[in-house]
Parts: sequence; structure tokens; C-alpha cells
Amino acid sequence: MHRVLIIDDEDDIREVAALSLETVAGWEVMVASSGAQGLARAATYQPEAILLDVMMPGMDGPATFRELQKNPATAHIPVMLLTAKVQATDRTRFAGLGVRAVLTKPFDPLTLSQQVAGILGWN
Amino acid sequence: MSEANESLLANAMDRLWVKFLPQMEERVAKLEKAAESLMSGALSEEDQRRASAEAHKLAGVLGTFGLQQGTKLAREAEEVYAGTLDRSPAVSERLTQIAEQLRGMIAGRK
Repeated sequence: MHRVLIIDDEDDIREVAALSLETVAGWEVMVASSGAQGLARAATYQPEAILLDVMMPGMDGPATFRELQKNPATAHIPVMLLTAKVQATDRTRFAGLGVRAVLTKPFDPLTLSQQVAGILGWN
Repeated sequence: MSEANESLLANAMDRLWVKFLPQMEERVAKLEKAAESLMSGALSEEDQRRASAEAHKLAGVLGTFGLQQGTKLAREAEEVYAGTLDRSPAVSERLTQIAEQLRGMIAGRK
């Protein structure tokens, strides 16, 4: 069973994504509602992957990603950004951060886990 | 995915929809208020920034619940509020119309 951490300040998105990964794929999911909480949970929980929202108050997604990279305990964990931004310039900028992938919101709860698994080679 | 699991997911999504419905209605109410303020010339830059953020959140979530057209409309509102706002009557009327359409779509989701 794969273990995934979802970091998103929006509770509706967080719950739908968790439901999707748990119900469709049977993965173990942990959630965090802020960048700071996500950093702590990533270090202790050691997920195999992180879904990270871009726009969050305080520490946003890119800043959280940079902190994850700085910590040897979390630097190895693949991160996929989740964003509702669809402009090509935004997506190119996010991809340039060094994340594994940039996923679009809204996502399809039926296929989100397939998308994640495909990116991470879990199929 | 088995039909049983698919049905399980659909039922759970319906429960989440009910749970988050008040939150989505509140976001639409904020868009309605912003459009009214724009119409009356009372929309501040901070109100504009907040309206853009609310529209962004709606754009990100509505399609997840099957309301792809809602995402499209919310995205349109987000882009209008995020840019240099044209304060003409035509723009405020369009933003009012978007908020009304979003309210109708949300109310009509089964």
C-alpha cells in the first residue's frame, strides 16, 4: 500500500483528494492544511509522495517545496504540485521549480490515483 | 475500478458535496457582493483581490464535483478580478451574471 501526503489549505479539495486516493487506489493518505504542518508531517510520516497545493496563505506551495528540499529527511520525496492555474506561463514556472509534476485542479476523483501512479511509475 | 467501488466513491462524493455546499454558497455570495460593489463603484482593491481568490477556489473545486462549466465560469471571474479591472457597466454586469449562473449550477447539482 502506497503512502501519500496531501498538503492543501482548502478543506474541500483535501477531503476529495484523500477520498479519491483511499477509495479508488486503496492508498494510505495523510493530510496537512498548511505548508508548515506539511513539513512536519512529511518528516515524521515519510510518505512516498506529496501532493502540494500552490496557493496557500503563509508558506505557499513553492516555498514549502523549497523547505522540503532543504531537509535531508524529506528531500528525496517526490512532490507533485496541485494548481488551478491554467496559464502556460504559470505552469512552466512551477515545473521549473524541480517538482515531479504539475497536476491541474479540478481533477477527476476517479482517475487522480492513476495519474499519480503513472507519474511515479507505480503501475 | 469495480462498479461497487465506483458507486462507493460516488456516494462519498455526494456526502462531501453536502458537507461543503454552505462553503461554496458562501464563496458565490462573496462574488455576488463583489459584483454589486463594482456596479456601485465601491469595490476596493482589497475586495477585488479577495473576489479573485474566491473565484480561484471555486474554479479549483467545482469541476471535481462534476461542474466543469462552473469551473470555466469561475475561472473567467478570477481572470477579470485578477487583472487591471475594467470598471465599465458591461464588466460588472458580466460578473453579476457569472455569480448568478454559479449559484444556479450549485443549487442544481443533484
